[in-house]
Amino acid sequence: METVPESLTDLKCALPAAFTSLSPGALIWQDVLAQAMTGELLAAMNYTSLADICDNPAEEADALEHAQGERGHAAAFAAEGRRIGVSVTNNVDARHWKRLRQAFLRCIAARDFIACLIVQEIMLESFAVASYARVGKVAPGSLGKTFAAIAAEEEEHIEHAMEILRAERALDEQSFDDKVYQLHLEVMTTLAEMLAKDCSHGHCEVCHGSCVKPALPDVRLSAAELRGASLHQYLKTLDKLGLPGEVTLTWVAQLPV
Amino acid sequence: MGGSVAGVTEVDFALIGHQESWRAAADVLAVLRGPERTPLPDDEIRDILPWLPPRAVCHVAIESLGGARARGLYIDSFIAPDRLADAYVRDNIARVRAAAAYAIKAGAKIVSLGGFSSILIEGNFDQLPQRRDTVFTTGNTLTVGFIVQGVRKMCAMEGRDLRRSTLLIVGATGDIGSGCARCLARDVRRVQLSARNVERLRRLAAELEAEGVEVEMATDPQRFSSEADVVICAASLASPSLLLGRLAPEAIICDAGYPKNLAPGTEMPRAKVFFGGLGQVMGGLTFTPDFHGVLNRHPFPDVVHGCLLEGMALALEHRFEPFSQGRGFITPERVEEMETIAARHGIYLAPLYNAEGPLESFSSTGDFALAVGGTNLGHTEMMRRIAGASPRLSGS
Repeated sequence: METVPESLTDLKCALPAAFTSLSPGALIWQDVLAQAMTGELLAAMNYTSLADICDNPAEEADALEHAQGERGHAAAFAAEGRRIGVSVTNNVDARHWKRLRQAFLRCIAARDFIACLIVQEIMLESFAVASYARVGKVAPGSLGKTFAAIAAEEEEHIEHAMEILRAERALDEQSFDDKVYQLHLEVMTTLAEMLAKDCSHGHCEVCHGSCVKPALPDVRLSAAELRGASLHQYLKTLDKLGLPGEVTLTWVAQLPV
Repeated sequence: MGGSVAGVTEVDFALIGHQESWRAAADVLAVLRGPERTPLPDDEIRDILPWLPPRAVCHVAIESLGGARARGLYIDSFIAPDRLADAYVRDNIARVRAAAAYAIKAGAKIVSLGGFSSILIEGNFDQLPQRRDTVFTTGNTLTVGFIVQGVRKMCAMEGRDLRRSTLLIVGATGDIGSGCARCLARDVRRVQLSARNVERLRRLAAELEAEGVEVEMATDPQRFSSEADVVICAASLASPSLLLGRLAPEAIICDAGYPKNLAPGTEMPRAKVFFGGLGQVMGGLTFTPDFHGVLNRHPFPDVVHGCLLEGMALALEHRFEPFSQGRGFITPERVEEMETIAARHGIYLAPLYNAEGPLESFSSTGDFALAVGGTNLGHTEMMRRIAGASPRLSGS
């Protein structure tokens, strides 16, 4: 098991002392928040790792700033949990998240800055932006606003990375596209399994009880919608990078369901 | 790089379309997934398809009988088969716009709009994205040509005299319906025009009456004074029963709508239904990856909707111009010009068929008959006429 710095994942989420009853859907939001919080903490860990391989001090500072930003997002999700009276836990060692982290660490081990950006900004953030935006539309009050605001912030991250990645692709399109495809096979396959309509391969190790997916329609969400929105965002992001749409369509069509 | 299609290269034309059934959509996704992967379950396809942004699905290459070649892309707008109703118009227009933008970015010189794509935009071309070197055609002129040829051919096959027929056109004021009316009105005894918009009906009726045509019009096809024995259904109907009541029992019915869903049912077992507006490529048609029989699901090889063939024919002709745009501008002369271009490149009326299968036989040597001007021409005769100085294919 990877040793995770406690400062990154130790976000306690004690319930308010005066809390007496849960609002409808609170237990569903608890699991949604747990997934989001885990994703943000994983992103914080990834950016911290990225800082270690940055040659340029400005890039290193940038990565650390991003890590801090992601940790702030995680804290915001924890706070939203407290607001609705639920404890939001996280588990960066959960089966899918752990595989995503390991994929990122392989890029770190190869000191491949561009691959790191592709994994974090193109793949993981596409998933985050699309999912948070959908949740932001249906979640009540402050919870919805927080998801929507964080979705907007994550989108800004992507725009920043896109400039770097477009410049890199311009140097050698074929090599760049090959790299994206290899990372796609590893990372997007894991994300596709996470986003499957039901967790038929076992518990995700983040949800508190049984899988939250079947209950999502109770809060006007669905696993299919979150997956669809995420894949749409991913394809549009790859379009913006300049990858041929007919090729990326095939990639997505070949993902597991 | 993984993926079965090479990056976008120089393209002459783009074809924008969508799948008309979930079965067709499933087949497209099955090809994209590849034979080594399990096909997606139907419920997954219904979940995923509406989220796919418009994009190219495959490369298309067409070869003329004379050796000319043109290359293009098939771009699927991924309009879901169950989202063709009015409630989805805004989203569907956005999808067609995105598909058009894709075609422009790919550098297509001419773009054909298939199926609902042209229906959505035929009256409003300014909804297309800004473009400099790309022109758009609805493809409706060649569609009309093939519908009219099909009607003539079916009449000949059934031994009917078109000149003694009452022709009913459902969806008469649309671009295709009005084009068919102009091409056939003078060749039949009486024309019945049916559409929802009364004012447009009046205008079309007045135009035809000025040429001496006997015209009736009604918003409800049940209200005509006599039975029609030849019908062109240019509107997409949820049920063919909408047509029943004032049709001759053995009426010839051309399903020119999209998707094609008319069938000789129990209510009209003797009706002769055929699918209209389809053409066949005799020179050569290839899809990369291989979507033969998937994108063109017909019982005969290399059959394609006329609207898409128009763009390909114009590309083979190096005539990159918006041949069909707007609504109500299709004339017999324009149809003849378009048919001549198509025929010059070996694009002819497809053998007739309907939901139950082929209505005629076809051999790969091109040994089939075409109805031209009320006369059946063998392929050799057709070729001779095409090579001649003044080919006249529509007979209109």
